[in-house]
Amino acid sequence: MSAAQALALEQFLAGRGFVRKPGGLLSGLGAKISRASELPAASRETFATTVPGLDGLLAGGLPRGGCIELTARRSSGRFAVVLAALAAATSAGEATALVDLGDHLDPHEAQKAGVDLVRLLWVRPRHAKQAVAAAEMLLSAGFPLVVADFGLAPRGVRYLPDAAWVRLARAAETWGSALLIAAPWRLSGVAAQTVVTASRACPLWQGSGRAPRLLTGLSSRLTLEKDTRARSGLTESFTLRASEALVPLSPLHGDHAAITLRSRRVP
Amino acid sequence: MRLACITVPLFPLAARLRSEPDLKGEAVVIVEGNGNAARVVAASRRAREKGVRAGMTLPQARALLPGLTARGRDRESERAAQEALLEVADGFSPRVEDAGEGVVYIDLVGTPGLAVAPAYSRPADAPASGSAGCGLDRTPGPSRAPAPAARGSSPLGDSSRCDQGTEGSGDRIPDPVRAVGAGLAPAPPPLPMGEGRGEGKTSAEVRLGRDILSAVEKAGLPARIGLAASKLAARVAANLPDSPSVVPDGEEAEFLAPLPLERLAPEIEIAEILERWGIRSIGELARLPEGEVASRLGELGRELHATARGIDPRPLAPRVPPLVLTEGMDLEWPLATLEPFLFLGHAALERLVARLEAQALACTRLEIVLKLDPDGCDARAIRLPAPTRDAKTLLTLVRLELEAHPPGAPVAGFAFTAEPDQPRRAQLALFGPAALSPDRLATTIARLAALLGADRVGSPQAVDGHRPERFALARYAPPPPPDLAHPPKAGRGLLAVRVLRPPLPLDVIVEESGDRAIQPSSDREIPNPQSPVTKLSSLRLLSLKTAPDATPAISGSVKVSSGPWSMEEGWWLDGSGRGASSLPEGRRLAPREPKRSEGIRFAVEALRPSCEPLAQPDPEQAKATVPAARDYWDVELSDGGLYRIYRDRKDGAWFADGIYD
Repeated sequence: MSAAQALALEQFLAGRGFVRKPGGLLSGLGAKISRASELPAASRETFATTVPGLDGLLAGGLPRGGCIELTARRSSGRFAVVLAALAAATSAGEATALVDLGDHLDPHEAQKAGVDLVRLLWVRPRHAKQAVAAAEMLLSAGFPLVVADFGLAPRGVRYLPDAAWVRLARAAETWGSALLIAAPWRLSGVAAQTVVTASRACPLWQGSGRAPRLLTGLSSRLTLEKDTRARSGLTESFTLRASEALVPLSPLHGDHAAITLRSRRVP
Repeated sequence: MRLACITVPLFPLAARLRSEPDLKGEAVVIVEGNGNAARVVAASRRAREKGVRAGMTLPQARALLPGLTARGRDRESERAAQEALLEVADGFSPRVEDAGEGVVYIDLVGTPGLAVAPAYSRPADAPASGSAGCGLDRTPGPSRAPAPAARGSSPLGDSSRCDQGTEGSGDRIPDPVRAVGAGLAPAPPPLPMGEGRGEGKTSAEVRLGRDILSAVEKAGLPARIGLAASKLAARVAANLPDSPSVVPDGEEAEFLAPLPLERLAPEIEIAEILERWGIRSIGELARLPEGEVASRLGELGRELHATARGIDPRPLAPRVPPLVLTEGMDLEWPLATLEPFLFLGHAALERLVARLEAQALACTRLEIVLKLDPDGCDARAIRLPAPTRDAKTLLTLVRLELEAHPPGAPVAGFAFTAEPDQPRRAQLALFGPAALSPDRLATTIARLAALLGADRVGSPQAVDGHRPERFALARYAPPPPPDLAHPPKAGRGLLAVRVLRPPLPLDVIVEESGDRAIQPSSDREIPNPQSPVTKLSSLRLLSLKTAPDATPAISGSVKVSSGPWSMEEGWWLDGSGRGASSLPEGRRLAPREPKRSEGIRFAVEALRPSCEPLAQPDPEQAKATVPAARDYWDVELSDGGLYRIYRDRKDGAWFADGIYD
């Protein structure tokens, strides 16, 4: 049946009062013709990051075989998201790798965040080219989750060709690994399947006036800049708690300080 | 199957006499143990004639024979003697099994001397041969006593022949015919040792056995040999005093029947039961019904019964000659640059890897031998973190090694030798997370170490201490994933800190209390380190910035600050780094920071190729051993960044060592 015939049949059936799906070509009578946009999305396996806002935006977490880019300026919670993703994956028994371009990892902080250090391979490249090469090697080795953090001011990133990022994304797809690129600005170009930006960070201080201050946390907002499967522009806010903070962020969070992430979807 | 078993009686003594020929003919014992607790393992004939036996203590033996010469057991001599025995056996057959302790089995199938000999023809009076077990139901044939003339005529048959003082008293077996117990029908003895017992295959085997014995004697070892179709029969035949002993094909049961049951070395409990039953010889045991024996003695009894019937299913397990995996070539022109050498070396490594792959092996150590021009040789070795078959990885390591340590002369030839090892394997989980392939993981780590340096790849380790920049690396060896997949734990939602390594020097503008002065920190008078912290709390931070070329750049006015938070290491130490004198000597506390450098050194050692020198801890790590005293502030700058900065109490310098992110 050609498309013209299908449309004619659809109009005929619609005139007879058959139920018609909104936007669908045909329904009932066992019709097998439908609009391509109505095809069910293939189920994808994801790594939950345990950051409710991010998991909500990514429809469950970091997809296996996908390349996700998280961009944020400094003090926007980017590294906390990186550690949360590593902690979630290692707590599920997965082997993970962190390509740490700025050499910023503090094992104590990672342990506090819940990262199982024995399942984490820490790679410390000196410049961006080494970081990309290392990430590709790790993807080829079969690591289920590879996080490439490009630090605060990645050196040599301007000399990387766009093909390098496409190659990374292809490697992640080939080996079925989740690749999270955390960078201060957009690096991967068109290669990333999803791009999330953290912005509008707001430090949370306790105390005012001449009273001593205490840093208790940080609130930030995640925005879905690009997604091949969902509508971009969605935002989620989340709050991080300083580990040394002695008081909860607000009475709403109660004493269950481990879950201090509050999520609010803004259409 | 035809096998020959070579045994060296009293092997520890024979090996010792091979190393010290001057002791031959003397009263010598080999002992094991120390002092008066040393026990005799083997004794020479002269010692045995005086009553010295294995198992005696040395004082007991010396009481019997005061002039006794005692030697400790020499494992190295025994290893060399065993090697010599195996080399002799290799000269007769390519399939040789090393059974240890002076015992070697040789596969005779296809031996030229036997192949050309005419087929063995059974003597007319010999019983019909059948399966090993059928000898039980068969009426034994007439007794065939060994011909004394034949024994006497054999130049090697006399037991004194092989005795250089090593003939064991326990090895002397009673005549098979006489050994048959009362009520047992006589069984045929082992077939003759001389030419007088007929021609054919047996005589060819006897000749072969003599040749083997002659070769073993030339190696300095007294030996006996038995030829049979199974390992058990050959071993028992080899222990008989007249050598060579040949057991015809299919007559193992008849051969074993008259021998005492101890020849089968049964378990002690089973031996006691059989003794109570009145079973003395192998033939008596073989005549018992198999089912009844199995029901009373269990599986061990069933196996012993099968052995008594001459059934020995053990195949020959030939030793595998050591693999020599070497690839290389002599060059027509000496090479002075690296790239042409690597081009040729890559091809050689690929050939080497292909050979490893054919053997299902991987390279765990690569030896490089370079022939230098005009003369000389350069040899080096690269140990890999894990066995690999990746030629590119090997080539990268070779490149790095040669770049780091050039040979110093043009290369006229080279050879790569791989030390093989089994590649790592892992069992994949059916329901849990997938495990990493050990082979691929090892290759990846080796490539990453070659790309970045061995000290930049590994598993992070938390180190005790108070400095935020402390860390250690360990070899990455993740535990196996769980059998069942489980959901991740809930996140803790903690604010993370990016550590700045090394800390960035800062130029800080502060305002002292009372709005007295505002001046850069570098020009400010350094406060007394012993001054109380309350003075610092009166400081108000106004702005801070890093040097212009610092990365990352930090600059801005301070919106909010919090601090100071004091951190002081080693407060219990005096200025020289020693513990405070007020503490007792045994209870002085030591600073914990040195563990950091130890951890790094360990990680470097675990990951680096063996040819590289040990990585020295960098100056920052050396500095880390000095106790630190700092005052920390959390500051929010006008650029929106949240920083953790500190002031070093020793020199008053300011640094940023972390960014909240």
